[in-house]
Amino acid sequence: MARKHREIGKAGWGYTAIASVIGFIYFFPVLWIILTAFKTRTDALAVPPKLFFTPTFENFVSVFYRTSITTGTAQATDMGLYFFNSIFIAFTSVGLALIVGTLAAYAFSRYPLKGNDTYLFIILTTRMMPPIVVIIPIFLMFRLSGLAGSYWGIILLYTAFNIPFSVWLVKSFFDELNPEIEDAARMDGANERRVFFNFCIPQILAGLSATFVFGLILTWNEFLFALLLTGVETRTVPVAMARTLGGEVGVDYGLLAAIVTLFLIPIFFVTFLLQNQLLRGVTFGTVKK
Amino acid sequence: MADVPTQNQTGTAAPQTGGGFGAWLLDPKRRGPLLVAPAIIILFVMNIFPLMWSFGLSFFNYRASSQRVPRFRGLDNYQDVLTDEKVWERFQTTAIIVGSSVILQLIVGFLLALLFAKAFPMRRIVLMLVLTPMMLSFVSVGVFFKLFYEPTFGVVSFVLNKVTSEPFVLLGSPEGAILGIVIADAWMWSPFVMLLVLAGLVSVPKYLYEAAEIDRASTWRTFRTITFPYIKSLLLLAVLFRTIETFKLFDIVYIITEGGPGSSTETIAVYLYRTAFQFFRTSQSSALAYIVLFIVIVLTNLYLYSVNRRAEEVS
Amino acid sequence: MSIELKKLTKRFGSLTAVDAIDLDVGDGEVLCLLGPSGCGKTTTLRMVAGLEAASDGDVMLGGKRVNELAPRERNVAMSFQFYALYPSLSVAENLAFPLYAEQLSGAEIEKRVAQVAKTLQLENILKRTPGQLAEGEKQRVAVGRSIIRDPQCFLFDEPLSRLDVQLREEMRGEIKEVLQDLSRPTVIVTHDQLEALTMADRIAVMRDGRIEQVDTPHNVFQSPSNLFVAGFIGTPQMNLVSATLKGSNGEGLADFAFEGDQSLKIKVDPAVSQLAPGATVTLGIRPRNLEMSQEPTEDSLSTKIDMVEPMGAETLAHMNDGHHDLRLVTDWRVPLAEGDHVHTRFPPDTTHIFTEDEQVLRSTP
Repeated sequence: MARKHREIGKAGWGYTAIASVIGFIYFFPVLWIILTAFKTRTDALAVPPKLFFTPTFENFVSVFYRTSITTGTAQATDMGLYFFNSIFIAFTSVGLALIVGTLAAYAFSRYPLKGNDTYLFIILTTRMMPPIVVIIPIFLMFRLSGLAGSYWGIILLYTAFNIPFSVWLVKSFFDELNPEIEDAARMDGANERRVFFNFCIPQILAGLSATFVFGLILTWNEFLFALLLTGVETRTVPVAMARTLGGEVGVDYGLLAAIVTLFLIPIFFVTFLLQNQLLRGVTFGTVKK
Repeated sequence: MADVPTQNQTGTAAPQTGGGFGAWLLDPKRRGPLLVAPAIIILFVMNIFPLMWSFGLSFFNYRASSQRVPRFRGLDNYQDVLTDEKVWERFQTTAIIVGSSVILQLIVGFLLALLFAKAFPMRRIVLMLVLTPMMLSFVSVGVFFKLFYEPTFGVVSFVLNKVTSEPFVLLGSPEGAILGIVIADAWMWSPFVMLLVLAGLVSVPKYLYEAAEIDRASTWRTFRTITFPYIKSLLLLAVLFRTIETFKLFDIVYIITEGGPGSSTETIAVYLYRTAFQFFRTSQSSALAYIVLFIVIVLTNLYLYSVNRRAEEVS
Repeated sequence: MSIELKKLTKRFGSLTAVDAIDLDVGDGEVLCLLGPSGCGKTTTLRMVAGLEAASDGDVMLGGKRVNELAPRERNVAMSFQFYALYPSLSVAENLAFPLYAEQLSGAEIEKRVAQVAKTLQLENILKRTPGQLAEGEKQRVAVGRSIIRDPQCFLFDEPLSRLDVQLREEMRGEIKEVLQDLSRPTVIVTHDQLEALTMADRIAVMRDGRIEQVDTPHNVFQSPSNLFVAGFIGTPQMNLVSATLKGSNGEGLADFAFEGDQSLKIKVDPAVSQLAPGATVTLGIRPRNLEMSQEPTEDSLSTKIDMVEPMGAETLAHMNDGHHDLRLVTDWRVPLAEGDHVHTRFPPDTTHIFTEDEQVLRSTP
């Protein structure tokens, strides 16, 4: 049998078509949510559910401006603030965790102590525990120290959440580095700080961004602690979303969908940019490319 | 001995920074611990300290709602929890949900990974489509899947109605509710498993496949001999990680079913939440939480063991 | 059974890696594709195997055009540069792997594995996995996996490149022995000329996607057809000096002028007389063929020894005539010292003349 064959591992547009169909089916619920964001109130709850409709932007407007039923005037909602909060809190805490974690990872990798493995294990376990176990003490702690409702409280908490994976991942990156380059730099007279900043860090930049994306995905949608520990000023979007549920007239699906869609954009964007790095983060640094 | 340079593990000489606290601080021997300190401090304050506090609480009969001075009860709380039939029911429910969801995630994730293993035009874009579910918040997934399952308004019901011409009530029955939760959770996290397996598939050297092609090996044999060994340990990693995470599952369950109908879908996490924040049985919930923690630690150990094994395999 | 390549071409976008080459490999013949990195030799090999699709031209196996066939349908055996041993299988299982496609009985497979193991001295390591093997052992298993079959042809991609020098010498001999027994066309890709010279029946020297010369090792060495082949084959490299032809008399004695006012007269091939006076040529002579004399002769240049490198049984001397560097290799007993002035002779029968467009000038014998 003679047929045109292709290089191993590659495929053409026919494959793309099949993959797109499958991808689309998988994506469908998300698509529905996004579509709902453009539906009017009645359309969203239409029976039977509508796939084709006249789109409207009123939900997106409602996200930021709401006409109060009681006073009848349009007021700005706090959603802009909530979006800012989410972005600020997430980026800050993941960034902080990355900095602190990288320093610690460097120490674990280059200056190993006796019982290194034990420390690493303990660090990772803190991430694994159910939030329920710590939620009460933390809640009490926050209340007592006045951190409840403040930015620093929740940022510190999220940083603590992200440290374990940051340490773990970045350590694996440092472990992979060729020590000869560092030795050469040392022999040329560079002190430890220069070796770290000018030689080690540049080599693992890709890995650092993988860790950043990974941490972002884990933190961005966090709900439970945000619910309990953020105040009116520092509320994050997931909490705000939950609050729309307990509305006066039941769930406003259109509005919620609009919020979800908007909230999806930043993380979608970041993930798209650093797609290839994400692979690294997900496998916890144990797969070499 | 001040003139003799000291050596640290990395083999460099100690900097002579002049005496005092500064020198003590910057001494190479301290460098390791110093670098690790910020991380440890934050973790301690935010994680370990509360853990210990919680641990302590579990031995008293503290109730967050009352002002009574807590009374020491020793292991009584633990005993109460372990003999409580309701707790075992919840464990069972959790096990069913976790088990089904993880298996589903494995299958779907694996198939998706096979799909994306080849390089095809626009792969990056199609991949993003499949990764999106992971990026949604639990709340939104919960709310909208609940809508999908709605007998009258939901898309799922609509489609199935056309097929079976019967009204579709998923969340009304315990089995249906569990199914609804499992589907939502598996849908969200299969992409994660896919990424893991994909990383493994992609790391197989191309020339192994070329050699198998030259050797005229069948597709199944190629898979068994070349592909599977590379992804075996990654699959294990995926199973353990997702199991641990699903154990903690709260948001989705709470929103889709609130643990209902009745308490048939109440997972351990939801039950804990209720005990602590609705019934304010703070101490008891702490005890239960610690039991759950114990289970998670055992699983985590397995997980870490498997990660280390994998790291050794690969190097 | 033979391999024929007709105007075989491979393009990667705007880059032409293999440029319309024609090549034949006969039954039982060992042909080496030799050349520097990037010359297209591996790409050519892969096109024969079917791992790369040809952009143009034909690949013929046994007289049949196989361009459209997948590698598995062509029934070729290939040994990869990185060995491509299946990491999860033992040596025995690796060897047996290609046979599963042939539907042989378990006993027959075992027999063949034992046979190959004996030929390549793998009997002691049959149970080990690739991760536990030394480089040399891995290499032999890779070869074993090829010869256990009876394919249409054998292809080897840089078989010895990952071995250290000593191992390479051992394996060269072993492989040559194994190859003698095969009755199928064999193509070996290598960048190491010593490998090519010792193992091949014929060598195809490649550069930039084209074949510069196809001939026996002896001919490629003694009679390079152009400047590139001359400079590529032979270590130390052939001396290549630019000169201007002043003129020639009727009997083949040509007069060459060099930069720096030196000149020499040597007897050359009659084809040289077809060149016009004033033509630029390149003279080529291998270091071992240069001769020294104390007295100036009409076929020598006056040179000074810059550096002397003892090489054991031989000595390498770097000479300079003021404008050109020449390398000369001679017996270790000849007294040489840095700073000596000697006259370097260009014996007529070992001097090659290349024209401006890099072709050798030689009248057909």
